[in-house]
Amino acid sequence: MATQADKVYVLPGDEINPALIPSHPKHPLRLGPGLRHVPPSDLFPTTAGQLVTDRRKNLIWVESNGGRYIPAVGDLVIGTIHHGAADFFYVTLSDYTSNATLPQLAFEMASKKNRPQLHSGDLVYARTHGPRAGVRVAKHRKGRGPGPLSEGMLYSISLGMARRLLMRKSAEEGKVVVLDELGAAGLAFETAVGRNGKMWVNSKDIKTVLVVGRAVTETDEKSLTVEQQKKLVRRLVKEMA
Amino acid sequence: MTTTTTSGPEALLSHLHSADGSATFSYAGYTIVGAVNGPIEAQRRDEIPEEAVVDVVVRPAAGVGGTRERHLEGLLQSTLRQIILVTNFPRSLIQITLQVTVAPENEYVNTKVVQANTNLPILPALIQTAVLTLMSAAIPLTATLASVVIAATTEDGSNREIINPTAREIEKSRSLHVFAFTSHGDLILTQSEGEFTMQEWEDMLASAQRQCCPSTSGDVNMGDDAASGADLGTFTRSVMEAKIASDLYWK
Repeated sequence: MATQADKVYVLPGDEINPALIPSHPKHPLRLGPGLRHVPPSDLFPTTAGQLVTDRRKNLIWVESNGGRYIPAVGDLVIGTIHHGAADFFYVTLSDYTSNATLPQLAFEMASKKNRPQLHSGDLVYARTHGPRAGVRVAKHRKGRGPGPLSEGMLYSISLGMARRLLMRKSAEEGKVVVLDELGAAGLAFETAVGRNGKMWVNSKDIKTVLVVGRAVTETDEKSLTVEQQKKLVRRLVKEMA
Repeated sequence: MTTTTTSGPEALLSHLHSADGSATFSYAGYTIVGAVNGPIEAQRRDEIPEEAVVDVVVRPAAGVGGTRERHLEGLLQSTLRQIILVTNFPRSLIQITLQVTVAPENEYVNTKVVQANTNLPILPALIQTAVLTLMSAAIPLTATLASVVIAATTEDGSNREIINPTAREIEKSRSLHVFAFTSHGDLILTQSEGEFTMQEWEDMLASAQRQCCPSTSGDVNMGDDAASGADLGTFTRSVMEAKIASDLYWK
């Protein structure tokens, strides 16, 4: 994570102070979202945000919140099946955008004879695969693995919140502890977070689903700090009982 | 209501919930609400195979849009296309809607709308709103914009430039000019009306450049000209920084 004392804010087209660009003897410099490389060696921000660097991994990107989800290769997303065709499902990742394609054979254990049965409106947890948002279902390390999501409920959250929830150490780096706190309070539930600003929650108890959804959306909308999140969870759990 | 040209700019960002990006911007007696949606699916008949379509809609404070709004839309569309990275989003659409909610009161005489004889004075406010809205929607841009209106008048036989003139001053002026610059200091839009010589235009270009991009023109002293308006570049930066800081409160 960034270790600079003061935060650097950039606007589109600003010049980046060369001292802020990390350099590493072995790894090539990798650009994250919000940056544009103009050959041969110019680097410009394209969105307004905070410039963040990781000197150890030689990464640089612009952190911001808001806007529409723009698909990038390797993102975990929650899509809604729009319709199916012979070999593909057409999947909606955000409203009013072109559908992404999801090959029917991309599912685990799927074969020509044994195809997944999905209908329009069903949800899938998937990883974006190529340009023009081809989607493929791939294995995932932790939490809910990719595949069809049945039952449960879908919540819309901001892109920044989705990113924080998807961080490997969401509590330390993203300062979001609602889910951990809810789990610690004894609620049993399952979540899947899509980088496209969607969160799916499922539980045997419908009350739990609603409490989890409310806790996360409220944290997102009211920009709650760690302490406030803990307080919110205590209140919601108390109200539930 | 006392909206004068000397009142400083004000802006509110991302306040509309269903739009991808939004901003309300008040400056020089104008208040404009902007919303951006995109990149979204373009209609098959509009789409460009390798670029995004930029669609600008301007709606007036009263009534429905007419030729004046179409003219402004045309100017804005060709300007914004230059700074939006359209090649990043082939076959998609970026839709920019700008609703004028308050126009300077001088445009009304005896509560009757005077048919505005010029389209230009509103352009800087529209451009600024559009840029703020695009940044709020996190649409990739190559640069930000700053623009200014300058009127050339003849008073007692001597020529004078007025930066951000009032409606009354525009009426009396010989010619009216709008200049827009990118944050790199490049001229991106120039529109002129009335009678002027090439030399006058060049002088006005120079003072517009001083006004819009103080850092690149080398003249940093803004206090020497009492007639100069607020520095929109600095304003944009401070507004965006405040928004980013509140968005990334967890960092």
